[in-house]
Amino acid sequence: MKKGIRYLIFAVVILSLPAKAQMPHDAIYMGKKQICVAGMYGYSSWNQYWENTLKRENLNIGTHITQSVMLMPAIGISNRVNVILSMPYVWTSTSAGNLMGQHGIQDLSVWLKVKAVQAGGFSLNAIVGGSIPLGNYVPNFLPMSVGLQCRTVTGRLLASYRESKTGLYLTAHGSYGWRSNSKIDQDAYLANDRVYNTNQVQVPNTYDAAVRLGVLRRVWQTEVWAEQASCLTGDNIRRNDMPFPTNNTQITSVGWYGKVQPHNIGVNARVGYVVDGLNVGQSTSYTLGLLYQINFKK
Amino acid sequence: MKMYNRILLIGSLIAGLSMALASCDKTITEPLRVAYTPVSVDEKAGTWKTYVLTSPADVTLTAPSATSSAAYQAELADLKTKSATLSQEQQEAVVYWGTGAVYRWNEIARELAARYNVPPAANADGRYPIPDAANPLADPKFPFANPPYTARALAYLTVAQYDALVSAWNYKYQYKRAAPSKVDASIRVALPASALPAYPSEDAVVAAASYTVLKAMFPGEVPFLDAKLAEHQNSRLWAGMNVASDLAAGMDLGSQVAAKVMARAKTDGMSAANNQTLTAGMIDAAKSRGLTEIWASQETPVRAPMLPNYGAVLNWNFDAATKVKLRPVAPPAIGSAEFTTALDELKAISKNQTREQARIANYWSDGAGSYTPPGHWMRKAANAANEARYSEVRMARTLALLGTALMDAGICCWDTKFFYYYPRPQQYGVKTTVGLPNFPSYTSGHSTFSAAAAVVLGSIFPDRADEFWQQAQEASDSRVYGMIHYRFDCTAGLTCGKNIGSYAIERGKADRSGL
Repeated sequence: MKKGIRYLIFAVVILSLPAKAQMPHDAIYMGKKQICVAGMYGYSSWNQYWENTLKRENLNIGTHITQSVMLMPAIGISNRVNVILSMPYVWTSTSAGNLMGQHGIQDLSVWLKVKAVQAGGFSLNAIVGGSIPLGNYVPNFLPMSVGLQCRTVTGRLLASYRESKTGLYLTAHGSYGWRSNSKIDQDAYLANDRVYNTNQVQVPNTYDAAVRLGVLRRVWQTEVWAEQASCLTGDNIRRNDMPFPTNNTQITSVGWYGKVQPHNIGVNARVGYVVDGLNVGQSTSYTLGLLYQINFKK
Repeated sequence: MKMYNRILLIGSLIAGLSMALASCDKTITEPLRVAYTPVSVDEKAGTWKTYVLTSPADVTLTAPSATSSAAYQAELADLKTKSATLSQEQQEAVVYWGTGAVYRWNEIARELAARYNVPPAANADGRYPIPDAANPLADPKFPFANPPYTARALAYLTVAQYDALVSAWNYKYQYKRAAPSKVDASIRVALPASALPAYPSEDAVVAAASYTVLKAMFPGEVPFLDAKLAEHQNSRLWAGMNVASDLAAGMDLGSQVAAKVMARAKTDGMSAANNQTLTAGMIDAAKSRGLTEIWASQETPVRAPMLPNYGAVLNWNFDAATKVKLRPVAPPAIGSAEFTTALDELKAISKNQTREQARIANYWSDGAGSYTPPGHWMRKAANAANEARYSEVRMARTLALLGTALMDAGICCWDTKFFYYYPRPQQYGVKTTVGLPNFPSYTSGHSTFSAAAAVVLGSIFPDRADEFWQQAQEASDSRVYGMIHYRFDCTAGLTCGKNIGSYAIERGKADRSGL
């Protein structure tokens, strides 16, 4: 549900990295005057979710599916400074019940990635991201909504070590995410066990942490990862109720990422699986991307 | 190079913009409602017609001690101490309750309704457990505060508040004991003091009446209600508005009136509202009148319909024979041209629901986790009465007229729904963006509630009548935009609601208030 959304955001942001292709959560950089554009398709589904801590199914939803297509250019401003953009179009559906699927352009994200320290195979990277909703989608028709209609700012510190002979690497990061209030169509709603007489909804801030272990070679990359992404505050889905943007969602997921880019054209793929959570669906997600690199160097 | 510069520029602009927009302030602003001096204290309200009490003297109240008595002077001294300096928390309580006793207790009731408005989850064996009033905090919690339940809870709440205040006004002007600050000008008051006699305290009257009704309607919330009751009474001491005996008398009076009002509730037929054994007969009767496809729960596992016998609950403003006369004529036959046109309208919306249609559907959805359409209209009414600076008793009258009309609307609508047992559009493959209620389609509850509310409020606030009616029309349309009602469900509901409201209007005109 909410998970669909948050996860999607992560999937989107995290996953899609071009060959050189880099993402907001790795230590890979496009060279100066290089642009890599990734076109990604994502498919995420769950048939069980955590209603607060209770893991359950819902026969009036059956399997919940979130799909997306996304364009994600990564731009090498210098060898140590990159900008990554992403813009997803998202659509949702269920296999059972009466809830109508939603679709729309979601949020534009911009990431600035700076290699602050490089010493041998070790690097320390500072990453700042922001996102703004582009579409006028409904944010609180959960779990069908395609996003939460809030602006975000994320600060991330990422450390990585790569052994140059084998290409073996280990990367870890931690982030803090600020999320703006969201506006809903109703002028009153229930959250934190009280009624708020307003259309403004406080969406909790987030943190995340991840580790990745992989091998990065000239033309290919393979990696396994584990990630924890959680809200810092928020309430829980009430018994047999629907999710709401104020929910404290927590997701622990593991997965694999791989990429092959022999020349300008490449592909990447990612598989993720939620092993534990709170107020989210236990989703399995797949992403497939086509990468195209452009060099402006003369 | 140029292209890359441009992308860089756009990228940094967007990043900069998002940072700028993202100011860190996440404060939520809710409308503030502050204390006021009423346009009139309505000193004749002790003669207004009550709902359950046959006369204000149905309940008794002993005469107060004179303001010159030692007992009163001791209370006054105590009040001086309590109101002299206030902590931040005490000040906040004074401001909160200063908005109005009726206003706040209705708001509390709506909040409880919202918190309890979730349908029970199915057991592992696919059956839905029934909420148990004797064990209200177990899963599922009691009550499931759905629209009929909430309409009834709010009706009894507002009737108890109104009857109690009419009685209180009667005694206020019988005993004429002035407010403490009029007796002793050195009393520091934190709220506007009117010429209204202070014994019994209207705040305590409303608090006790509301507490008694809400404790019965939401039996799992006794500690929450105890705290509200205590804070409300204390706030009157902190504000320098009432001495202790004003409050004690108010508590006594409010409790007595509410007990009488709740005696009616115990025998109004609600205990049989969920009698599921009646549905087989209802279905047979509907089929015998020509219905070719009956309503069926679209939930998995199949859920029994919401309160199928609520239509038999006792009305407020008319009798059972009138209820039958108010019932709309039969809906179009399934498969008729009129039916097909209505279904096609929904199919067209489902293909291309506009954002404005979605907004309207969402704004009025008032589904699970909300205070329901009756709560929505009670909120509008309370705000209108607050803006018009009504006295406590006039606000209570407004809300009781509306509360009884809303419950009448619920009863008539449920009677109609289970009389015709008409299928939902979802039985013909239409999906929804607002969630599907689990009971027959014809007529629309939103339309019935909203039309009744709009005409009642329009008669009380004539210069806002068009605004309220336009809102009722939009609430009605919202169910078409949400694709859970045929257009004819809504038009029939609006007409019926309007007629239901007219009975409350008639009562209001004859209640000796002259309003």
